[in-house]
This record gives sequence, C-alpha cells and structure tokens, in this order.
Amino acid sequence: MAKYKYTTVEEMPPLAFSLESTRKIPTGSWRHVRPVYKNKTSPCEVGCPAGEKIPEYFELLRQKRYEEAWYKILEDNPLPGVTGRVCYHPCEGQCNRKPYDEGVAIHNIERFVADQNLRNKKLPRVSESPKSEKVAIIGSGPAGLSCAYQLARKGYHAVIYEADHEPGGMLRYGIPDYRLPKKILDKEIADIESTGVEIRPDSRIGGSVAWSELEKYDAVFVAVGAMRSRKMDVPGEDMKGVFTGVDFLWEINNGDVPKIGRNVLVVGGGNTAIDAARTAVRLGKKATILYRRTRTEMPAVPEEIEEAEKEGVRFEFLVAPVKVTGSKGKVSRIELMRMKLGEPDASGRRKPVPVKGSNFQVAADTIISAIGEEPDLSFLPYSFLKKGVRLFVDDDYSTGVPGIFAGGDAATNPNGTVVNAIRAGKEAATSIDEFLGWRTKSNGTPHEVVRPEDVNTFYFPHESRVKVPRIPVAKSKTGFHEVNKTLSEAQALDEADRCFTCGTCLHCDVCMTFCPDVAISKDESGEYVIDYDHCKGCGICVNECPREAMELVPEGSREEVEEAQQV
Amino acid sequence: MNGKNGNNSGNGGLLHPSVDKVLVIEGTHAASYAVKLARVQVIAAYPITPQTSVVEKLSEIVSQGDLAAKFIKVESEHSAMACCIGSSISGARAFTATSSQGLALMHELLHWAAGSRLPIVMVNVNRAMAPPWSIYVDHNDSLSQRDTGWLQFYAESNQEVMDTVLQAYKIAETVSLPIMINLDAFVLSHTSEPVAIPKQELVDEFLPARKPSFRIDTADPKAFGALIGPDAYMEMRYKLYSAMEDARAVIRDVDSEFAEKFGRSYGGLVEEYCTEDAEIVLMTSATAVSTARIAVDELRSMGFPVGLVKVRAFRPFPVDEIRAIAGRVKKIGIMDRNVSFGATGIIYQETKAVLYNAPVRPPLFGFIAGLGGRDITPETIKEIFSYLLNHDEPESETIWIGLKSKSAKQPEHPLPQNPGGQKKSEGV
Repeated sequence: MAKYKYTTVEEMPPLAFSLESTRKIPTGSWRHVRPVYKNKTSPCEVGCPAGEKIPEYFELLRQKRYEEAWYKILEDNPLPGVTGRVCYHPCEGQCNRKPYDEGVAIHNIERFVADQNLRNKKLPRVSESPKSEKVAIIGSGPAGLSCAYQLARKGYHAVIYEADHEPGGMLRYGIPDYRLPKKILDKEIADIESTGVEIRPDSRIGGSVAWSELEKYDAVFVAVGAMRSRKMDVPGEDMKGVFTGVDFLWEINNGDVPKIGRNVLVVGGGNTAIDAARTAVRLGKKATILYRRTRTEMPAVPEEIEEAEKEGVRFEFLVAPVKVTGSKGKVSRIELMRMKLGEPDASGRRKPVPVKGSNFQVAADTIISAIGEEPDLSFLPYSFLKKGVRLFVDDDYSTGVPGIFAGGDAATNPNGTVVNAIRAGKEAATSIDEFLGWRTKSNGTPHEVVRPEDVNTFYFPHESRVKVPRIPVAKSKTGFHEVNKTLSEAQALDEADRCFTCGTCLHCDVCMTFCPDVAISKDESGEYVIDYDHCKGCGICVNECPREAMELVPEGSREEVEEAQQV
Repeated sequence: MNGKNGNNSGNGGLLHPSVDKVLVIEGTHAASYAVKLARVQVIAAYPITPQTSVVEKLSEIVSQGDLAAKFIKVESEHSAMACCIGSSISGARAFTATSSQGLALMHELLHWAAGSRLPIVMVNVNRAMAPPWSIYVDHNDSLSQRDTGWLQFYAESNQEVMDTVLQAYKIAETVSLPIMINLDAFVLSHTSEPVAIPKQELVDEFLPARKPSFRIDTADPKAFGALIGPDAYMEMRYKLYSAMEDARAVIRDVDSEFAEKFGRSYGGLVEEYCTEDAEIVLMTSATAVSTARIAVDELRSMGFPVGLVKVRAFRPFPVDEIRAIAGRVKKIGIMDRNVSFGATGIIYQETKAVLYNAPVRPPLFGFIAGLGGRDITPETIKEIFSYLLNHDEPESETIWIGLKSKSAKQPEHPLPQNPGGQKKSEGV
C-alpha cells in the first residue's frame, strides 16, 4: 500500500486526491480498441461522375476562400460554370442530407464558386514538368475539353481539332442561352486554353484535315460526340416543317431563327426535346411535347420539365408518331398512336406498348423530332470496333487501336450528359498518361463511403434547402435571358452550412471536448493528437464525431501496445 | 406576513434600499432569478414536474445572454449531477434543480458531490414519491437523502427561496459542502408572490466570485476521490462530519450578514414565532409554517399560550436551538409532512434524538399530516393544538391527522373552555 504524506485528520486535505500527477499512470494499457482519425468519402463525391471533391471545396467556401474553392473544383472539372448550370447533379441524389430533410443544392454552390471567379484568370499551375509528347483530341465538346485540359496539366501538348467554327460542341450548339449563356462557356474555354491547350477550329477530320495528319501525335482521343439526331423512322419525316432537335437548336445557338409555324409538336422526352420546346415558346410559338411513355420515365432533368411546364409547354404522354402527312411537301398533320406501359425494359423503365386501333391525327405546322442522338463516325479510316452506332472502348477508354482512345457520347456506354463526358475526358487523360509510360496503372484505393446512418445528425438542426432565385416566368418565356440566377453570397454560405461534410474532419473539437480522459489535444499545426498513454478506448470521440471522420480499430496484442507506448 | 417575533421574509422587505425591483413571480422563478444574481457558471438539469419552470426560465436567461453560464442539457438527473460535479471540481459555480424521482435517481452522485466537498447548490421542489404517482408536495423525497452529506433548507415563501439560494452559495463555498434548497410543490413552486429582487452590485459584494481551495487542472492531472485504504478513509469521513458541524455557525453568520445588507433574516437554522412566553409549541417546516402562523395568531387572541418553531435547516440539524426551546416549554408537537416507515415522522425522530441527552425533556407529540399534497389548513393546525392542549402525553408514537378511516379513531378535540385552565405538564 502506498504511503500517505498525511497521518492525522488535521493534516489531510478536504478531498482525497493523488499527490502526484496521474500522467504517470498509463491507463491507455486498458484499451482494446483504438480511436483514429480517418477521413472517408462522402457519397456526393462518389455520385459526381467528375469526382469533384465536394466536401473540400465546400469547406473552402465556408471560409470564403472562393479562389481556392474554385481551384479545388478545377482539379477534376475545368467547366464548373457550365456544370453548375446544366449538370443533372447526380451528387445531390446521393446526399446524406436527403433522407434527413432535403439534399444540399450542390450544383448551385458549384455555380456560385465558378461565378465568383468569372474575372479570375489565374488557373492552377500545371502540376508536372512539360513533356515532349503531343496528343490530338478530336472534338471540343465537354469530353474533348476535359481530356485536353487534364493532359495539359500533366505537361502534355494537347491539340483539339474542332470541325465547327467555334469550340464547345453540344455545350455551344445544343444548349440554349437561357440555360447556359455563351459568355460563361467562352470564359471557361479561354481558361482551358490558358493552360496551354491549343484549339484549331474549322478543322474537321476527314474534311479540311486528313486523318493522316494525326499520325504525328503520340496519342489521339476521339470525342466527336453524338451530333446527329436519330430518325423517327416514319413516313413523311423528310417533309418541309420537320426539324431535328439538334439542327433546330444548332441554328438558334448560331444566331439564326429557324422558320417554324405557330403550332410546334416536339417528339421525345429527353433534354433536347425540352430545350427545343422551351426555345419554341421563346419564339412565341405554342409547343407540345409528345412522349411515348409517361412523365416518370422521361429522361430529361426533372427541374427542366417543371420549368417547361411553368412556361406553358404542354405534354401529351403515351403517344408515338406513326406518319407525317401534308401537301406539296409541307407538313400539315401528324398521325399518332396511343401507347400503354408494359414490362420494364433494359433501361429499367416500363416499355411503351402500342394500343391497336388507337391511331388519331393532329394538325401540325412544325414537328421537331428529338428522340435521341448518335455519333457520326464516318471519318474513321480504320475498321475500328463498333457497338451499335458507337465506337467501342474498353474501361480505360482504349479503342483497340494502340494509342487511339475515345470517350463521351461517341463511344460506348455514354449517358448523354455533360458531366459524364467530363469524366470520360479526365479518365482517358489518365489512361493516355499510362499509355505514354509516364505513369503506372493503379487500381486505386476503394472508397469507404459515409452512409446516412453514420452521420451524427444531433449536431445538425433541420434546415430547408435554398430556394434558387429565378427571373419571372413572364420574362423567361419571352427571351433568352438566363432563367436561374446565381445564389447570393449569403445564400451560398447558408446552403454550404447545411452540408454535413460527411467523412472529412473540420476540426470542430467535438472529439476533444467529449474525451473523458482529456487525451485529445491539438498540436501547433492545429491537428489533433491522441495521447494513447491515457486514451482508454472508450470510443466516445468516435461516437460523437458529427461526420464519421474517426473510427475505432482493433488494438494489437498487449505487448504491441506497451511497446508502442514506450516509443 | 410579519409575525410578533419579527419574521422579515414577507412584504416588509419590499421597500428596503437593497431592492432593485419587485416582481410577482412563482417560487421556481424566484430560484431562477437568484441563480442569475449569484452569477452561476454552469447549469445542468433534466426537466421534471414541478421543477421544470426553474430551468426553463434559466434557459431563457442564458440564451438571452443575461447570464454568462454554460447550460448543459442532459439525459437524466444522474447526468445533471455528474455535470455539476465535473464543473464544480474544475472551479465553476454550479447549479441544478430537480424533484422527487429525479432526486432519487441522483442519489449515488449526491454522495459523490458531498464526498468531493463541492459547493453545488440544488433546488429540489418537494414532490411525493411514487407509487402511487403524485405530483404534489410532501418531504419524503429530500428526507430520503438525509445521510448523503448535503445541507438541507426548507423554504416558507418565494422570497425565502430567492434569499436562501444567495445565502446557500456563500455557506456552501465557506464549508465546502453542497446544499439542497427545498420548496413545496405548487404551494410555492407555482404560486406567485411579490419577491424583492436585490441589486446586482449588492449581491456581488455579498457573494464574490468563487475561490476554490482545490480544482482539477488538466495541465497537472490528479486523481480526485480515488481509492484510499482503511488507514485514511475514516479521517476523510470525519472531516466531512466536522464541516457539517461547522456549518451551523456559518449559517447563522451568513444569515446575519444577509440581514444587514438586504434587511431580511430567517433566523439561521430555526425561526421562532410567539415562543417567548409559550407553553406549547408546534415545530414544522416549509409552507405549513405560514399556515400555522395564522392558527397561532388566532389561538393567541383567544388566550392560549401557543407558539411556533420553523425548522429551516434540517441538515445540519438545529441541536442547540431545539434544546434551548425544550428548556422553556411544557409540550412540543412536531408536524411531519413525511413518514419513515417502521418508525415515525422524521423531524419527530430527530427531535427526540437531540433531546434524549438534554437536561430538560418535555413530552413530544409526533403528528403526520399533508402527505401527497393534502392541504394543511389553519383547521389542521388547530386540531393539532387542541390535541396538545387536551393531552398530557401522546396516545401513540405517531398521530395521523386527517386520515380517512372507518376503524381509526377520528379525533375530535374541542379546544378547552378555559385557555389557562389546562392540566400542567411536567418535564420527564
């Protein structure tokens, strides 16, 4: 038994406490599980095809470090002003806040960050030293721009061949101004060029530029997109007054006004159909969308469908075109057939089945067919392997012809979205880097994704999602002004505060506050240090962490722990 | 109300120069405002009827920034007391409030707080223990915590609640022991009375910031209350015992100092009313004292030589005061709003115990009344006095007043015809 300094009641302190510091007692040896700081992946980051580091740029934004937030996005996506406006934001669908109240408006925040840097010309410096290899990219749509930019950042000389007079592909010619103003696109393309990417307009491969010219390059990335509208395959579709969605939007975006009648019928349920209908409304016409399934199965972004509805676009569901009729080569009617929903097809959506004898006719002076697009690969000289109408590529975007890669809507497994094209460009750049021998193939580390139940929602009061400001419908349907506005700074900061920041330590000090053994402290750089001599492994810090940035790992043998403590 | 012996706890104090303002507030809020005036630094509590409004008001006061305190919401009374212990041992002035079952849940930590010699102040709103469920007043909840080492006060008015909280921090921080202030459920807790709110600067003078004699320091961590052997434990208990003994003088001194500054006094451990020439006195506590004052006034006006003793401090027990009273009177009745099963009313027991070795021991009568919120009216008190006037000695160890029973004798005790002609009792 220990010896007491005091022997009589008069000498004793009022409360029994140890005479020496308890630091000498390594109570950490009781521990059999060990808390460690370990950041995990947020589901939004996994949900983002471009792999934007959303929690990281959100934290920079919260600190009002808008330029750094922008740089953080640019690591994965050189077009945040574009995606902040037109992306279908699958990230938000994965947001852990969604089951709690409403998902965070990530794409609006992305747009805010991009717009904060509209006048900012300083791009992050190229991270690696210049390399001698040159890479040709065919097409300056999102896939081509993304690939060229990532290659430039890796030190390559990237040259984009663009068939049209101006770069951007579908971004420029497929998306109307009211969703994506040209000045935003121009600014971000200029940013990409400033990293050393060279864009050659009016250079159609197989046209003004021979395929053989590409032989001087060390690698080629084919990203010509899908610029050709699919045929409806009904009699009469070549009549005057029948347009394809792509051509119609191309003309509008090129500054021309196509000659259309007052009564416009748009066939299709994707974003092109919606854009065509909303554009027709802006030209003062009556627009009706004809879709063979129902609203639930429409591939267009739900918000866009809602906007179209607000602007007066009408919808006719469960109808399919049978034939187009007219006189003197000019359309006057369309014959439609009623459909009903059958079993789910390969896409998981219920398949439209024709209802026999349900044909009926509708008067029409303009028909716009927007039932999907396909690539034009006629310029390819080799017998490249194709799958359907698309160029076959492997998981690493290689075509089978050494040094030739492809991605975006021209290649297999596209989903027809901007962000997936950006992803294809980014990942193809990595594959090209590997092909050219500057990088060894890595399998990557598997993501540990934070689940909704991992978040300690006690720390997050319910808050509703930001209401995105927009111009009045009366104004939006009469011109090509951008419909949705950028969030104000206050709105962006409030919305960013709704983010749980799943899996990323924000140094909120909850762990330190709750540790009953005062075994957590901060070092000079502000990082947490766990005093494992006194941490008993109770796990309260891990349990309390609001955002799953800590975990408990099994302790080694007693000997190992003691040895570790002696070091 | 002001009595003949000068009770200052009533309206007489409202015009004193120490008064900042007078608010008409319920007893729970009197406690809340006192906590604010005492500049408490940590409040941890779990809600329970009828205590809830104490901490509700405090949460408002803290959230409005009127009190620079940490308000900790907890998941139980056990945790509430644990928070108070943790904050108090790190040097902060801590407060909690509870009632009945909540107090019972705290039991283990009540020992810990006292054994750690921490000057925590707690308001307990006296509520009968379940089952059967009750939310009304009796004193078994706090008296069940008799031996935990906490000082216990019982308040008669809302003003006394406020003043006792202020006194309590001073006493607690002087003797290094925790204090429980008890107020009757609803009769005080939810009844509004005018309460004089003293000026903050005067409270600051009376109750300066706490200066702990020892505290936790994370830079030099030590084990507090850790294991000690049989060769020292007893001495530590003796120190706690001595501190409680010393508290008697401190309570008297603090009450005097308070009277000087704020113009109100509560007599220290007990307050006597009309006892100077009394032959028969009734001892009781809390709001029943107020009612008893009316009965005493009435009986006095009829010529009966009766008096009243208010037991304000139950721990430490007022040994000297009770012995002095016993030396002057012929009979003492004790009205307990509690019962110890297998024994008697608790204040009755304690009074008997302190008188056993006293030189003069008049007969003691133990009454039990008002359990579970049953009203104690002036008639109840008069019935007790009638019993005392009509009997030389009690017929049984406990006399239940107002019990509804077919078999039990329903005492009808008319007052004697001649107030002076009752049989003279001798001390045994």
